[in-house]
Amino acid sequence: MMAFTDMTGLAGSVIVIAAVAARLPVAARLHRPYFSLLLGVVAIAAMIPFGDLPLAAYVRGIIGDLSIVSLVLLLQSMTRPLCGWPRPDVQSRVALLALVALGAVALYPMALGAGLFDPYRLGYGSPWLVGALLLIALAAYFRRMVLVAFCLTLAVLAWVAGWYESTNLWDYLLDPLLAIYATGALVAHGARRLRT
Amino acid sequence: MTRRLNNKLLLAFMLIAFGAGLFKAFNLHPSKSFQPPAQGVEKNSAAIFQSSFVSSKQNVQTHASSVIELKDGRLRAFWFSGSREGAGDVEIHSAVFDPARGQWSTEQAVVSREDTQRSLMRYVKKLGNPVPARAADGTLWLYYVTVSMGGWAGSSITAITSADEGETWSPARRLITSPFLNISTLLKGAPISYSDGTMGLPVYHEFISKFGELLHLDASGRVLDKQRLTAGGNGALQPVMLVKNPTDALVLMRYAGPDAPHRAISVATRDAGQHWTAPAKSALLNPDSALAALVLPDGRMLAVLNNIEQQRDALSLMVSADGGVSWKTVYPLEDQLAERKQPLDNAHFDKILQGLVKDTDASAANVGSYVASTRRTMCGEQPCHFEFSYPYMIQARNGDIHLVYTWNRSFIKHVRFDQAWLDRHLEKMP
Repeated sequence: MMAFTDMTGLAGSVIVIAAVAARLPVAARLHRPYFSLLLGVVAIAAMIPFGDLPLAAYVRGIIGDLSIVSLVLLLQSMTRPLCGWPRPDVQSRVALLALVALGAVALYPMALGAGLFDPYRLGYGSPWLVGALLLIALAAYFRRMVLVAFCLTLAVLAWVAGWYESTNLWDYLLDPLLAIYATGALVAHGARRLRT
Repeated sequence: MTRRLNNKLLLAFMLIAFGAGLFKAFNLHPSKSFQPPAQGVEKNSAAIFQSSFVSSKQNVQTHASSVIELKDGRLRAFWFSGSREGAGDVEIHSAVFDPARGQWSTEQAVVSREDTQRSLMRYVKKLGNPVPARAADGTLWLYYVTVSMGGWAGSSITAITSADEGETWSPARRLITSPFLNISTLLKGAPISYSDGTMGLPVYHEFISKFGELLHLDASGRVLDKQRLTAGGNGALQPVMLVKNPTDALVLMRYAGPDAPHRAISVATRDAGQHWTAPAKSALLNPDSALAALVLPDGRMLAVLNNIEQQRDALSLMVSADGGVSWKTVYPLEDQLAERKQPLDNAHFDKILQGLVKDTDASAANVGSYVASTRRTMCGEQPCHFEFSYPYMIQARNGDIHLVYTWNRSFIKHVRFDQAWLDRHLEKMP
């Protein structure tokens, strides 16, 4: 029987594959029911084994389990055209991406060997890290940055619940693909602001 | 009205989640003391020194052996075996040694790349170093390296467990130990125990920079903590931990850096790993190759390594009586330094190999097939050469010391000696 953490990990890979499909030019031209159908078919196809494994497992082998923040952003981008929801407020989204980029700059170079201090270690249950995240989430809540407060809270809850194989809180907050996306999106946002 | 309700719900959600998070964080208490291995010393009248081949499969490449004592006093060894290191057909193999009969069982495959990726629900490209461990509840664990993309720097650690001493194994589980796509955690050294039943697994990182680390695992194999032993850039990897007592330990590491002298790196702790000394070059020569070491019950330390600055054609048993500060050679386990003088032709190489096979196992019936199998691996694009590497050493509960290592990348060799043999050789030393 498949482990719970494999189900959650594979579900993340399926979401990535569906999100890629949703970004295809052909998908943008589809009406809402056909867009839903496309996402459903892609999601099912990603779970059908070919060879030893389904496509989602090959993707998982390369990118690992996506952070909760990535999943929230991907699900939000995919479901918005389906549900007709408005775009999240720009301030909240930029604040989240800035936090991700800052977190990545603080985490990855040192985690890959720059110096003796390894910030990744804090993710194995440091009350200081959880406390700092609480303060950031509260600040975001009182500044009405709902997306930031929601993402941080969901990530901490998933870590407490053991949603993934990882026991490290950082893996619920950040992943390298999200860091790359956040950096790119912030640069694009800055360029747009400069133009206007 | 709805928005206010949503805000209240979000605040309640935040308080519950972070309250649970803080509760979890405050309840994770890493152990504060090591558990030195329990060793009995049996005073044998006979000085035993025996050697044999652990692996029997011909025409394959074998490497990275390790060994653990089973509950009944037998030994189980593990290594990887396949057409070549890093190939998709590499499997983890195992055999069992019966000390009473002095014989190894026929080798068997424990786990393959395909088995692993089916269990992990992830693509796996290749398998690497296996290291066994005994959990506090008696379960036998096997940690091994798996790679999904790239070379060995892209490794992760996977674990399987056995409740019947390695006859059958559980599905594989992945350890998440790195934030960067979980890549670049490898292992080679023997695990250690903590006083609270948790386990320390010496591991190392290779992507971008090389450094040693110590993973702290609970009895169910969950990662509780990860500690860096050296900063990146020191070229230190494959840590081996020598636990002297509940608070003091020495770590010896392979040196993969460019700077002479090429010596093993050491770090030490006097507070059970709360703090570590700065890395320093030890007295042990090291040609960028793995080493093995242990602490004897009387406090002396034994190490097995290529005690040379280049190549891996000599392997020595060393002893330290001063806590790892100075080392002396007890016994040359392998020595082909003399053959470096001129290129080895096949005929001369074969002749030397025949002698080495007979020295290893006098009862070996098919010496020719051992020689042919070894020549296939060691004489190719490069001239014929010798390699004795990747030692792994344990002390059994009866005091016997068991060493396994890679023999010319073609077979795994086992050397067993007892305290009487060791004492005899130590007495001869100046």
